[in-house]
This record gives sequence, structure tokens and C-alpha cells, in this order.
Amino acid sequence: MKNLKLKKGLVALTSAALVAAFAVAIPSAARAAGEPTCTTANKVETCTGTDDNGSKYEIRMPAKFNGTLFVYTHGYRYNVNLPALPVVSPTASVVDNSAAVSPSEEVSAALLAQGFALSGAGAQRQGFNQDEGVDAAFQVMQIAKNKYAKITKVVSWGNSVGGLTAQALAEQYSGAVDAVAPMCISDETQAVLDKAVGFLWGFKQFFNPAIKGSDYSPGTRGYGEMVTDIVAILTTLNEIKAAITANPSAPLWPASSTVPATLKAIPVRSAVLLLGLINGIPTQSNTYDASSGPAGANETTIGLVISPSLAVLENGADAAILAVLANYDAEVTYGGVVFDNTTTNYAARLGDDGVTYRAALTGQAGITGMLSYLSALNPAAPRVKANAAAVAKMNSVYKLQGKVEAPVITLSATGDHIASAGSALYLAQKYAISVDNGISKSGKLLNIWNAPDAEYTKFDAAGAGVAPTVPTNGVGHCKYSTSQVVALAKLAAAAAKTGKLPSTTAVKAAIKNEPNLFVDPNFAPPLLKFYQ
Amino acid sequence: MIRNKSMRRASLVSAIVVTGAMLLSTLPAQAATPGVTATEIKLGISSPLTGSAGLSYKKVPGAMKAYFNYINANGGVYGRKITLISRDDKYLPVRAATETTNLILKDNVFGLVGALGTATHAKAYKAAALAAKNVPDLFINTGFSGFTDQTKYPTTFMVLPTYAMEAKVIAKAIKDNFPGQPSVLIAQDDEFGTDGVAGFTAAGHKFSVANVLYPQGYFSTPGRDAAVITSLKGLLAAAPGSKPVIVLFGTTDVTAALLKAATDAGVEKSFTWYAGSVGADANTLLALGVKSTTIDGVVSASFMPDAKDLTDPYVKQFVAINTKYNKGITFDNYVLAAMNSAMLTVQALRAAGKNLTREGVMSAIETKGAKFASAGLVPLGYSATSRIGYNGYWVSQLNAKGEGKPFGGKLVVYTTDSGAGAVTVSTFVRPTMPKNGIPTNS
Repeated sequence: MKNLKLKKGLVALTSAALVAAFAVAIPSAARAAGEPTCTTANKVETCTGTDDNGSKYEIRMPAKFNGTLFVYTHGYRYNVNLPALPVVSPTASVVDNSAAVSPSEEVSAALLAQGFALSGAGAQRQGFNQDEGVDAAFQVMQIAKNKYAKITKVVSWGNSVGGLTAQALAEQYSGAVDAVAPMCISDETQAVLDKAVGFLWGFKQFFNPAIKGSDYSPGTRGYGEMVTDIVAILTTLNEIKAAITANPSAPLWPASSTVPATLKAIPVRSAVLLLGLINGIPTQSNTYDASSGPAGANETTIGLVISPSLAVLENGADAAILAVLANYDAEVTYGGVVFDNTTTNYAARLGDDGVTYRAALTGQAGITGMLSYLSALNPAAPRVKANAAAVAKMNSVYKLQGKVEAPVITLSATGDHIASAGSALYLAQKYAISVDNGISKSGKLLNIWNAPDAEYTKFDAAGAGVAPTVPTNGVGHCKYSTSQVVALAKLAAAAAKTGKLPSTTAVKAAIKNEPNLFVDPNFAPPLLKFYQ
Repeated sequence: MIRNKSMRRASLVSAIVVTGAMLLSTLPAQAATPGVTATEIKLGISSPLTGSAGLSYKKVPGAMKAYFNYINANGGVYGRKITLISRDDKYLPVRAATETTNLILKDNVFGLVGALGTATHAKAYKAAALAAKNVPDLFINTGFSGFTDQTKYPTTFMVLPTYAMEAKVIAKAIKDNFPGQPSVLIAQDDEFGTDGVAGFTAAGHKFSVANVLYPQGYFSTPGRDAAVITSLKGLLAAAPGSKPVIVLFGTTDVTAALLKAATDAGVEKSFTWYAGSVGADANTLLALGVKSTTIDGVVSASFMPDAKDLTDPYVKQFVAINTKYNKGITFDNYVLAAMNSAMLTVQALRAAGKNLTREGVMSAIETKGAKFASAGLVPLGYSATSRIGYNGYWVSQLNAKGEGKPFGGKLVVYTTDSGAGAVTVSTFVRPTMPKNGIPTNS
């Protein structure tokens, strides 16, 4: 590429995104199981309590109730307390078991104002705990129905892993709900870890072999290893960020890297991009659209070879931190190493992206060199072998069957870097099989997609990307606007009433003011690499 | 990407998505053919209008529109007027995917025409689900042989020969015209160069030294071009009295950088420079600072006539259309190629009949496309099993004015395939230009 003269600040990493994605709230004290405690304010009765498992729940019933109850399941929360860590937990945090009734208070207010009742729970044990999530959602639904006989319809919905739980609830409890609305639906644990830990594994091999990444020791020693990993990742990320900022054209590799000098001749941004591509990390992020560059001679070059790499770096920061925390949680929960890449063919996983991003990957020679280093034949980059028993335990959790009785309407962002849009497609494919097998009826599932604007990166006077103050719509994890979520909720409520998907006209009307939402039965975002 | 002997691939880089702002389409498949009414056929093109690649390629949609407007003014296609919707993808794959998806979902076009770039279009094709929607993807401007895969790109029709074909023809031309001379390949390290290397290998051509494969941007680093020239001078020392053939299989900026470095070193006439079609646009080379005396004698390959050749009836007709319907735009090889593709499109639409369907237009190209009138001096190869457009090249040589003339004073057309087939001299006779440039085929 041309000799770039970019100024500092080109790389706008994801502090805000990380905090938002992994924020940990202070939990309230555990409450004994029993009848809900109710209070009324602003014409809404709020009832709280704990269910049979000790999970907290909450129900909000508006005075002018329209008959439909939403049962919400929140997304993945850390299952460990954390010390103060830059970006991840600026202040020390503890596990959050609080109940959530919707993605945000703004959404709650909007739905309550329209007469919908809301409910939700906070599992007693956070982390990967789908079984309890389903049970908690079912219990709060029953508690609400017992208390409010006027509930006639129920919509099960949720964010991320909560979306998975919402669908699992519908599949496991036939007839329990009247519609399902998974948002940014997550995939099965093994597939999700394959993506995040896969990125972390490559990050370790390329940039910092001191990162442990998996096979954490038991007890407090393992906890310490996990925290140490987070610090090492952040340190390495910052070094890469600084290198790209200083010299976007040919940034150097971090000092902690032990790869051969021949590999270090490749700009480190190409290595970052490769790790993103082979693990399914999007090349669009909160700051970088991979679709534009600052006006001037380098506009195309930046859009082509710099922006996608910076997007992966921004997204990969989240993925790597998630990998550590979630993988640690999974290893503790399931009793051993659950990530396995002993047979992973990373060259195959690159696929057509090797054509699309060849310039950004420093040509075929660059691709070949990097993939060779990650090859299973390279003893310097040892693969990770899972503990079969731990994997079996992880996979014993209920898996979605695509069984659909009540209408399902999903909402997924094409640039979600944590819960890939392909996860919604995966559900749709399972549903199609279910229809083919005569288990489900056709015409019961609708995917609504959320895409970013064609161009959204803002550049400062020096040509550097500027992190937006408002999260970019269509990228990031579950970063929908309130109006988008409300539109989805209303469509789901309508489906619950009729037992059918809304008509084309109704869907068009519902999202006509949402330019980033679209419906296309042929749109096929890539499945997680685990399935490819 | 568009090219002929005077068309380059991109001035800076070849280009890239996740889909961008897209709007709602209908939920189930539409009963009616999208983009077609009793009075209109909507087509779409995603190509660079801005950015560095836009400097070269921004003329393409305008030239196509000009030709379509000319046809519209003369009755359209069975009474339907053609509307071409153009979107700027900046030559970036992610953006191309976004804009192509917008063409399908938001603009509701019948088909695409003239999509430009390998990385861009490969990404866009998949993202916009063109195969699933059965959207005709007509006359794409890239020579990447991957697009010949009908399993992967079932609705795509190329217009350019493949890069592998070009390499095979160059190998043949070297053998025929420069026997015994040392030869070197300097090629871009991507799908473009990979295709080329495969072509030379298939042709059995042995270069004198290892191929120089460079990633895009390599020659923008100071001193790289001079270093390559220094290494080439070693050939002269090793083979005194020879005139090595240097094959430049890359973009015009790289061709320019090396020619300028050779000039600076005073060895520009010590070699025979054989520039691939993508990197041999004389106007661009001159604009990039290559001396006319250096350009004089550069050998290249082309499948189109020279845009400056007003004795060519196709060129003459297109110049007239450009003057009236594309006011203020200088006629050059980009305009020529774009109008030629537009004329192929009109013939394809006509060949599909009055009851226009997506399936119908693709079937029509398969069965009748090889006979379409076009400016190309080499045959079109469309059939039920081939989606490659032009199947060959003629060898040209630039003069100091930047004009491409038949090498050795005689037009020799070679044809071949992308695989192991032989390179043969063709007796192809180009179809005559339709009267007034208005196709009447059916």
C-alpha cells in the first residue's frame, strides 16, 4: 500500500464496548424463596422474589394491562468476581444475580406504557447455566400467571444466551408460550467457545505465548491464572494498538511475540486480521466500517487494508476477554478443558476471505506464512486437546432442535462480534430440518436482520478513526436501539395473539422507520466456523 | 476489473463487508420478475466512483448509462426503457457487498451488469445472495478464473478473458516472437497473479529466474522498484547480447514504477517490456510520469480495438454516442469497454424475448451469446458450459503516442482456454456492428 501518513489515534479500541459488554453490577442480597413482594409506583405493580432454585425474579404489571406478558432472559454474565482491571472491570466487581425484565429500562418503560407486562429472572448461578435459565424463566412465567389471571398470552424473549434460553424454553415446554423473540441469539456453548477461544489461541501463538488461555488450574491458582491472562491480553492488545497507530502501513509485532523474524516481516495488522477471519470475527466494528477511509490519497488503502484489521482488533479485544472468562467458567463448570483445535483446518476456515482480504493479508505469501505457523504440524504452535468427559458434560445441556410451535421472530445484527448473525441462521436451518421431518409447521420463523449504515467511520483531521459516542447500530453485541427492540416486541406480541407470523405488510409497517433493519429470506450470514 | 491493453486494474490496490444499510424486501419470493415492468427494466451496477480506484473506473457506469439512454431514445428493448442504478463501492469488498445488497433489496433491480473487481464482487455475490435469488450477474469486469465456477457463481457471466488465458497467450507470444531470450515474471501476489502463474505453468513456460511475486503496495515502498531493476540488470550481465523479456503482470502503478526506475537507470531499452492487459494503459502510464519514449515499444495484450482507432466501426459508433449522451466525458478505453458491455446487455435482453425473466436472460446468453455483436477482436465463448466472455488476445505494441498497434504490423489473434488447452491462432471474424449501434437480434 502507499506509504501512509496517519497520525496517532487511528486505532480507537474498545474500552467503552468492553465495559458495556462485560459490565458487572453489584448484586443485591439473596432472598428466601416464597411469595413475591409487591409494590406499586407510577401505575405499575412490581413484584420480586426468589424461585425454587433461589433465583431472583421480577414481574412488572401495568395498571392498563393488555393481556400479554413478556418473559425475558438476560445474556451471559461473569460467574466470577473480578478485581479492578483496566477496561474489563475498572472497579472491582462481583457476580450479578439480579433479575432483568428487558434489555434496558428504556425498553421496559416503552413496553409498560403500551400495556405489556414484563418479567424475568437472574439465575442463581451465572456463567453457562442454560438449564437453570430455562427453569427460572418457566418459574417466573408460572408465578406471574398464578398471580395475574388476566395474562392471556406469553412471549418468551431474551438477549444472547438469553435468546438461546428463550427458544429452549419454547422447545422444552410445549404450549407454554405463544411467541418467541430471541435477540442476538447465541449459539451452543461449544461453538461459541470455538470462536472466542480459537481467536485467543491464535493471539497467544502469534503475539504472547505467556498467555495460558486454557487448562486453568483448579481453585484459586486457576483463578489467578485467569486474571493474569486478562492482564497479559490487555497489555499485548495495547502494544499492537500502539504499533498500528505509529505505523499503520507496516506495524511491528509486540515484543512478547516469539514468531520467527520472517513472519514478523509481515505487518502485525495482517496477523490480527487473519486471526479474525479464521475465527469468524467481523471486519466491521463499532468504530471501523471497512467501507471508507479519510478523504485523500489513502482513502481506498485505508478502507481496504487498514480498517478491516482495526475492526478485528476492536472486536477481538472483546472476543479474547470473553474467551478467558467464559472458557475459565466452562472449564470449572464442566471439569476440564473444553476447547479443542487438534483437527481444526485454519486454511479451510479462511476460505473465500483469502481472496477478499488478500491485500490486507499481505498477499498469498503472507497468508501462507501465517497459516503455516498456525499449522498443526508446527510444534511451536501446539494445538489444544479437550478433555472428552468435560466436553460430553458441556454438550449434555439441551441443544436447540429448531422445533417451533409458536411463532419465532429473531433479531440479529450482521456485525455482532460475540453472537454472530449466523447463529440465527443456524436456528433457521434447524427449523427447516424440523419442518422437513414433520415436527414443525412451515411459516413459523422470521429472521429480522440489523445491518450498519453503508459508511459510518468518522475520521479526525489527521485521518484517524474516532470512536463514536453512541454505539454504532448493526455492529457490537446486542446494541439495538430501543425503537428496534420495541418494534420486535410488538411484532412478537402480535404473533402471540394470532399464532401466526405477521403479514409482510405488517412487518414492513413495523420496521418502516428502522432503516437498519431488513428482512430477506435469502440472506445467509456465515455460520460459526465451528460448523463450516 | 475492466481491462484491455489500455485498461488497468486499479491505480492503487485491488479491493473488499458485512452488508450495510439495507431495506426490507418482500418476505416470500415475488411472483413477478423483480425490476421489470411493461415500460422499464431496472439494472444495477456496483463499482468505484470515488477513492483511488474511482479515478480510473468512475467513467464506467456513466458510459453504460449513455449507451442505454441511446437505446431508450430508439425504442428501448421491446418498448421497455433501461434504467441503470449505479452505486459507489469505492472498490472495497465490504462496501461492495453493502451496495450490491442495496441494489437487490432496496432498488429491486432485475439484474446486475458490469460489477467490477475480484475481491469486491466475490464478497458481494455471496452477501447479496445472488445465487439464491437467481439474479443475473452480467458481464463482470474481472478476469479471475474463480468466477468460471458455475457451482459457486451460477448466475455470473464474465466478459473478460481469464488471467490464466492471458498468461498462456503471453507465453505463446514470447515463444513466437522472442525465442531464446531470457524471461522474468513480476506478478502481483493475489488471485490475479496466482491465475497468471497458473497460466504460464499450464503453457509450459519456464522463466529464467524465480518469479517475483509481490503483495500490493510493495512498490510504494521507496527503493523497491530500483532494487528490482538492479536485480534485472544481472540478467544482462549473465547473458551478454540478450534482450530479456520482462513480464509485468500487475496493475498500472507497478508497471509505471518499474518503467520509470528502468529509465532512471538508463536500461529501459535493454529489455522487452511485456505488460499484461491490466497494467498497460498508455494514458495512465503517461499520467503516472512514464516517458513516452519509454512507452514506445512496450508489448502488451488486448482483446478490444484501441479506443483511439476511429477507423474501427464500433469505436466510431460509440464515440458518436458518447458525444451526444455522455457530454463532457473523454472517450477512452474505459468508455469503450463499458459501452461494449452495455451493448452486450441489450442483446442479451432482446435475446431473452418479450416475456423477460431472470432465467430467460441467462439462458439466452448461454445459447446465443457467442454470436452477439461486440467490439472485441477475439471470439466470445458463452455456452451452456462456459461463462467466460472473450476467449483470447491479440498482441499489441504501444508507440510513443500511446497507440496500440498490432505487433509486427499484422493482427494475430490467439485463442485458448483457462486450462491445459493449446494456444492457437484464430481465424475469428468479428460480427459487423449493428446498424447505428442498435441491436435488432432476437
